[in-house]
Amino acid sequence: MRNRELGLIALALLIATAGFAAVQLARAQEFASSPLIAAAFFAGAYLVAHLVVRATLPDADPYVLPITAVLTAIGLIEIYRIDATLARDQGIWIVIGLVLFIGVIIAFRDIRRLETLRYTCGALAVVLLLATITLGAQVNGARLWIRIGGLQIQPGEFAKILLVIFLAGYLRERREVLAAPTRKVLGVGVPSLRHSLPLLIIAGASLVLLVAMNDLGSSLLFYVIALAMLYIATGRLLFVGLGAGLFALGAAAAVQITPHVQTRIDGWLHPWANEQAQCCYQITQSIYTIADGGVLGAGFGRGLILNSAGGTIIPFAQTDFIYSVIANEMGLVGAAAVILLYLLLAWRGFRIATTADDGFSKLLAAGLATAVAFQVFVIVGGVIRLLPLTGLTLPFVSYGGSSVTANFAIAGLLLCISQRANRERV
Amino acid sequence: MVDQALLLLRIGVLVLLYLFVWRIARTAIRDVRGSSESMILSPGHGFDPKPPPAAVPVMPATPGRLVVVASDILPLGAAVVLDQPEVLLGRDPRAAAVLDGDDFVSGRHAMVRARGGAPTVTDLGSTNGTYVNGERIAAETPLHEGDEVAVGSTRMIYEPGATP
Repeated sequence: MRNRELGLIALALLIATAGFAAVQLARAQEFASSPLIAAAFFAGAYLVAHLVVRATLPDADPYVLPITAVLTAIGLIEIYRIDATLARDQGIWIVIGLVLFIGVIIAFRDIRRLETLRYTCGALAVVLLLATITLGAQVNGARLWIRIGGLQIQPGEFAKILLVIFLAGYLRERREVLAAPTRKVLGVGVPSLRHSLPLLIIAGASLVLLVAMNDLGSSLLFYVIALAMLYIATGRLLFVGLGAGLFALGAAAAVQITPHVQTRIDGWLHPWANEQAQCCYQITQSIYTIADGGVLGAGFGRGLILNSAGGTIIPFAQTDFIYSVIANEMGLVGAAAVILLYLLLAWRGFRIATTADDGFSKLLAAGLATAVAFQVFVIVGGVIRLLPLTGLTLPFVSYGGSSVTANFAIAGLLLCISQRANRERV
Repeated sequence: MVDQALLLLRIGVLVLLYLFVWRIARTAIRDVRGSSESMILSPGHGFDPKPPPAAVPVMPATPGRLVVVASDILPLGAAVVLDQPEVLLGRDPRAAAVLDGDDFVSGRHAMVRARGGAPTVTDLGSTNGTYVNGERIAAETPLHEGDEVAVGSTRMIYEPGATP
């Protein structure tokens, strides 16, 4: 199993090396050793992570780590293409992410230890979000960031994981009482208020987040994670229907109340009406960029990504709009491959959930897979104008320390769960 | 020269990318095949092709069976043939009775052991328990003719085999 992982990581490194070399070549018009050095660092970091997995989790899923390797490689290539300094930072973040990954798999080799920490995780998630609301700096209309020293962190990314851990522990405990209705309201069985209250609080809180943080993306993500996990725990579609209805109401209210959300909706429905205006410039540039890529792409380093001043044509191309850059340089074929990689990652997550033996592991794996998959759906949907644009990162690919490290923690947790599930089958 | 090299690298990356995706996706197909192959339970499809090993416990000449009387996932009348010293019930594809598709069954749910001809059933720490005649069992429980064993939604009646 581990040899399969090593083989796939080697393939990922080959992709990384070829990509770096292509960008470097296109930039300088001659070969240089710098991409090889970058690739060697990348290889070293993943090799260490692989060896730790080999030592601590011999039966864990062999696909999760290589998939993250390819995704981070693609992200790093395109960030390098945008700006070499940003790429160096991102490289450091990937290494830190892998260190966190190793920390997670050593600390939670036995995933049941995490279940005892469920309320701690829940409380920590609330603290992080409250801190963001009170101390957070407003950047581009959304209040998502906390500055500590020279460092900007985005606590929402970590709160997301903590929330999934809490929900997995909580729902595992209360699954029976939530699934079994105690009373009937309008002919439909509903669980008692006492047991469903914390869930209603989460639902309410994500709507508050929407208003307080002006953050459409995170609140939608939190809400969907909670709903999906509730469905997995109880198997009752009623909750999904109810939840969707409540969200529709909340969203309709939010559009009325917050101008930020209103702008986003306008930019989504009528971007061409005022292309140069602030609402729509990003999204129209994104669509031009994607269209420019065509089927096979412009090629690494050949896409029209930077303007004459050296900035990116699409504002925030390296974070929210990295997918447009990938679609431009690697074309429809490459962009589709990226989606396939996420599909594989989500499939592994759900597969781990189905093989896991205890309810907590099942819920945790399914919740984490949902979180990653839905985040990809929302941001990719945003940049291709399928959905209103929301500021979420593309997991493992987007530039940004919080996002990269948090996603490596998710990968680590998935591996720990799969270790326990696979070991039990022997 | 640079252009050719770039073109080569560009195609190379795309090819490698799809090679990677394909190598992982291939296992998905195997996954699906593998689990369907291990579904061994259907009426008239009982005996394991390989002979029972010369086991320490005395095996009856014709093995006893657990006949399904109610189940969400197995056909009525299907039988788990107790022709091994240890017969595993659970979602695990390697279990003798693969109860995949039932959320209330654990991977390794219960074990039926031959004990000098009369079998016993033991719960292997499953989440939702194993029941004999409606009682959740805590310890290894002997089975007698007509006893009902319930695992998840599946209920089975024990039919002893003929002893030599």
